Amino acid sequence: MLALDLFVNGLIFGLFYALMAVGLAMIFGVLKVVNFAHGEFYMVGAYTYVLCAMKLGVPPWVALPLAAVAGAALGWVVERLLMRPLYAGYSSWSIMKDEYAVVVTFGLSLLLVNLVDKIVGPYPYRGPSLIETSRFALGPVMLNGQKLIAAAISIGLLAGLAIFIKRSLWGRQIQAVAQNRLGASLAGIDATRTTSLIFAISGLLAALAGALLAPLINPSPDVGAFPAIKSYVIVVLGGMGSIWGAMIAALLLGVLESFFAVYVSYDYRDAFGLLILILVLIFRPQGLIGEKGREV
Amino acid sequence: MSGARNLWDNRLRADFRAALAVVALLAFVPLFVSSPYWLGVLIVSIYFALLSLGWNLLAGFTGQFSLAPAAFAMLGAYATGLLNYHLKAPLAIGIPAAIAGTALLGWLLGRIVLRLKGPYLALTTLSFAEIARVIIGNSYEFTRGDQGLNVPTLMQSRVGYYYLFLAVLLATLVALYFLMRARAGRFWLAIRDDATGAESRGIDVVRYKTLAFALSCAICGLAGSLYGTFSQLVSPELGLLLQTGLVISMVVIGGIGTLTGPVIGALLVYLSSEWLRSVGNIQLIVFSIVVIVFARFMRTGLWGLTR
Repeated sequence: MLALDLFVNGLIFGLFYALMAVGLAMIFGVLKVVNFAHGEFYMVGAYTYVLCAMKLGVPPWVALPLAAVAGAALGWVVERLLMRPLYAGYSSWSIMKDEYAVVVTFGLSLLLVNLVDKIVGPYPYRGPSLIETSRFALGPVMLNGQKLIAAAISIGLLAGLAIFIKRSLWGRQIQAVAQNRLGASLAGIDATRTTSLIFAISGLLAALAGALLAPLINPSPDVGAFPAIKSYVIVVLGGMGSIWGAMIAALLLGVLESFFAVYVSYDYRDAFGLLILILVLIFRPQGLIGEKGREV
Repeated sequence: MSGARNLWDNRLRADFRAALAVVALLAFVPLFVSSPYWLGVLIVSIYFALLSLGWNLLAGFTGQFSLAPAAFAMLGAYATGLLNYHLKAPLAIGIPAAIAGTALLGWLLGRIVLRLKGPYLALTTLSFAEIARVIIGNSYEFTRGDQGLNVPTLMQSRVGYYYLFLAVLLATLVALYFLMRARAGRFWLAIRDDATGAESRGIDVVRYKTLAFALSCAICGLAGSLYGTFSQLVSPELGLLLQTGLVISMVVIGGIGTLTGPVIGALLVYLSSEWLRSVGNIQLIVFSIVVIVFARFMRTGLWGLTR
């Protein structure tokens, strides 16, 4: 029954990946750029949670929303200060647009990692759990309380996001701007505000992923690197810019990796996802469930 | 038409002369600097200048934004190191083999990513770089993993190494200058500015893109191979993404799409990073801020300010 255990645990990790990847997919959907500082949103969330809980003595259930606020604020500020040139009337920038985005987000990632390293210190912290339980077995599946609660919160967040995007006015505006920025602004949608909103949401989700995982991963300043790379894989696998694709691909990658690590090779588990990324980009650039005809 | 052509020719010539002036200045440095430590720092900064020139050929001249320059330096260093470790091949074989091997790999990668651009290209080359690093770091039996490999050195003298690196830098600059003046350089610029337009005018885009990839990777491979013999140790850390980040910062700060920019960028960034390290380990914080500010407000870099 090892397989069932691997499946469930892989699915749970897939949920955390989804929190990260959905934000990245939304940013790509609207601006057509990859945010290379996405892992640092996650890191900031993890640190806000841990430091609020440990240094300020805030109870974990209060520290969690604080981390979300920190992530949303960071996302908003990043959009305001660095992303505006990508769309706001800098027509001569269009040639080097992709390059600008890579350089700036890469630089931002370097900055945030080293700022935290300098201010908080390079040592990993262990965050307090939301709930104190030891590992327990549910049938053949080994679980612990933190993982279960974090998974439940992730499901709630993802479902909430799905409803928000599908039903709410702001969510529909996001869809419209992602489909056609000019068309959306002609229809009276404030595309600039929508872009800010997207960065705030993706910062919030990534920060919450970091905060929820903080008791399991012992955050250190460079903790964001791996989840970020996973989310690149997921976003490519799900079709760049597709929110639903990202959610499904995240669960798929979580399960695949969990099996790969046990049955094929533990050492190479991180290379496995990247290999998927390259293969998908070469053979199916629209992603597993994306529509055809997107320019690559 | 011919006016525009002359403008580019003049610009390139002025750019090349400035780069030669920098190299000439560097040639006098050992007369004043005798401390082995600072000579070592200068050698490493010339290593970064080579990587920056290699990356700039792809990103600045051809418009292909790769995230793998450090990975190719690592691969070049390992090509030399592994040939020596397993086959006892002398460096006279190991270094050319590193150039040929990275050129071939770069050509292959160039073929693979041919149709990708922008973020897709960045992600694919990033994945390639990380896969290469993970494989080298985990193949303990073959590469000794994270412990690294010992590599023999070409010579004991630091000053000798300094002039060797400087000579390679000079040769790379000269080669790039003549390439950029020739048909290949014009085709690369045309591809960078408008790939579809270039193709419609009969430029073999596939061939010139892959050529740029192979050359750029060979420059990085050569730099990595020489660096390995200089430090006498190669490890997967050479290929860390952070190193690629440094190379990109150097080019952006110095001036992308020029010959002088990457060289002065590399020298300034690495030398001031040594200084900032002694001030209190804040070099990476300073650079990342400088890079963001340059990318945001001074897109032509330091060299661009002189125009």
